[in-house]
Amino acid sequence: MSAQDTVLVVGAGPAGLSAAATIASMGKKAVIVEKEDILGGAPIISGYAKLVPSGEWAKDAIGRMVSRVEGDGNVAIHKSTKVTTVEGEAGNFTATLSNGNKVEAGSIVLGTGFTHFDSINKPEWGFGTYEDVLTTTQMEQMVGTGQITCPSDGRVPERVAILLCVGSRDRQIGREWCSKICCTVSTNLAMEIKEISPSTDVFIYYMDIRTFGLYEDKFYWKSQEEYKTKFVKARIAEVTKSPDGRLLVKGEDTLVKRPIVIPMDIVVHAIGMDPNALNSEIAKTFGIGLEKHGFIDRAEQYTNSQGTTRKGIYVCGAATGPEDIDTSIAQGQSAGSRAVADLFGQQKVAS
Amino acid sequence: MAIHEKTLIDPDRILQHDHLVVDGVDVSGSWNTMITPRTLTDYEENFEKIIQSYSGGENVHRCWQCGSCTNSCTMYAQNVDFNPRYWIYLIRLGLKAELMKDKDIIWQCVSCNKCTNICPKDVRPEGVMKATAHWMEDNGLTPKTLSTHFDEEFTHQCIEFGRIEDTEVMMGFYKRSNQPLVQAWIVEFGKRLSKGLPLGQLAKMGMNVVFRPKTKSWGKTGEVLAEYVKAQKEAAHHG
Repeated sequence: MSAQDTVLVVGAGPAGLSAAATIASMGKKAVIVEKEDILGGAPIISGYAKLVPSGEWAKDAIGRMVSRVEGDGNVAIHKSTKVTTVEGEAGNFTATLSNGNKVEAGSIVLGTGFTHFDSINKPEWGFGTYEDVLTTTQMEQMVGTGQITCPSDGRVPERVAILLCVGSRDRQIGREWCSKICCTVSTNLAMEIKEISPSTDVFIYYMDIRTFGLYEDKFYWKSQEEYKTKFVKARIAEVTKSPDGRLLVKGEDTLVKRPIVIPMDIVVHAIGMDPNALNSEIAKTFGIGLEKHGFIDRAEQYTNSQGTTRKGIYVCGAATGPEDIDTSIAQGQSAGSRAVADLFGQQKVAS
Repeated sequence: MAIHEKTLIDPDRILQHDHLVVDGVDVSGSWNTMITPRTLTDYEENFEKIIQSYSGGENVHRCWQCGSCTNSCTMYAQNVDFNPRYWIYLIRLGLKAELMKDKDIIWQCVSCNKCTNICPKDVRPEGVMKATAHWMEDNGLTPKTLSTHFDEEFTHQCIEFGRIEDTEVMMGFYKRSNQPLVQAWIVEFGKRLSKGLPLGQLAKMGMNVVFRPKTKSWGKTGEVLAEYVKAQKEAAHHG
């Protein structure tokens, strides 16, 4: 295995898996380095339910992407492993891994993803204080079990409130970005809840609804019109508990211009996408720059759209900013093929 | 101490007793003024379904609050309190008390249907206005309209006698709607009729008043009909 026929792929989520499969399909070697002990990234590790927009269960859809690379002779996989140092330059990198191995690669693709916002950082919304306050990932896991119940006492909730923009669009906590997919995920989650528990009413508290592109009618309208999800324009100020054990969401109803204190049984935080918590370490290891929010910076939008600020290192998926799975997969293909093009470029120079 | 900003508070939120003595201290008038909180403490989920059960209200749940209806509204141009977008929101969440604050203007919708033509989500706001007005009327929240009085008298006679009698319908309508039974046009009508003296016609009218005409073998049909109408109404609006 020489540098000229190998691409190092860091991270085995949808983007990294897609990049690796693309590289392998072009007859080159992909070496995947994944810090977790399983492949699949956030959808698998966090136990997502049905994916947007396919409606397919995450473990099936992403599972297929995993088995595709696992069964490919051109792909080598290092699990529970990190890249510790990267030496050399474009066309001739040498990466040292935490398991002691060294990888020679002509180019590198980063699919290092994101970190879910930790709701503990918004203590006023009750996460970590009340058992019945959950995050979207926890609610997806509950949907996966096929039963919707209040964690506190197992009762079927009469009402579920989903609060949008938890850890997004909030200067107070330094998150000045929209996490892009939470609106769609939340409207989808509302439908899943209603499907499992028809007696439960779901309320979505929003500032704006950003179900972009074709997700508008497939998710937002469908959730509202067919599944009777209620959309309330209010930024919740506080979640507390009433003496009878139910939760109380407090805020101002923007349209009625009145304070509200409404009883709920479960409150779900639609958590946003933070830059990967390890990004400063990643930036140092790979010698690349981060953009102002802390995501991995890109080189040039139009002629090198998957390039990082360092030649020969590419990036795809939510490592570059909040991204949906479909786009992450497309970017993985894009970064993978660009990385392979680099290998051919090197060969040409060599001959 | 008097509260000077009372004008900023909805009158129904101000509680005040003209005469009140607490523990021997006279706190009459503004000394005992209390103001109920503005906070909304619950939704009435079922209310949207009730409005949907009235003809025209079926699509109210589709609204996403863009405001196209209000923006295009003929009545809104006259009175900014006439705000279909807002009422639809209140209906959706079941904020009935808020909706009732505007009960005396909701019926003013002129059915120009500009809102229905412009609505991007096919909510049919004009229908919602109509449905809301009917719901209010059904629940005695607004006085019955003249046409409702007429309908009720007409239906009553049909069910009771299996047919209507014109004079009775007219008189019943005036009675129900608190209008004088002797109207100028009736007097004129009587005068002209007596001039021509159509004896047969007059005799028939007289007979009809004395011996109320009834469909033959009507029997219990009216009762059955009334039961059916009642059941239908209940099924539609309380199901």
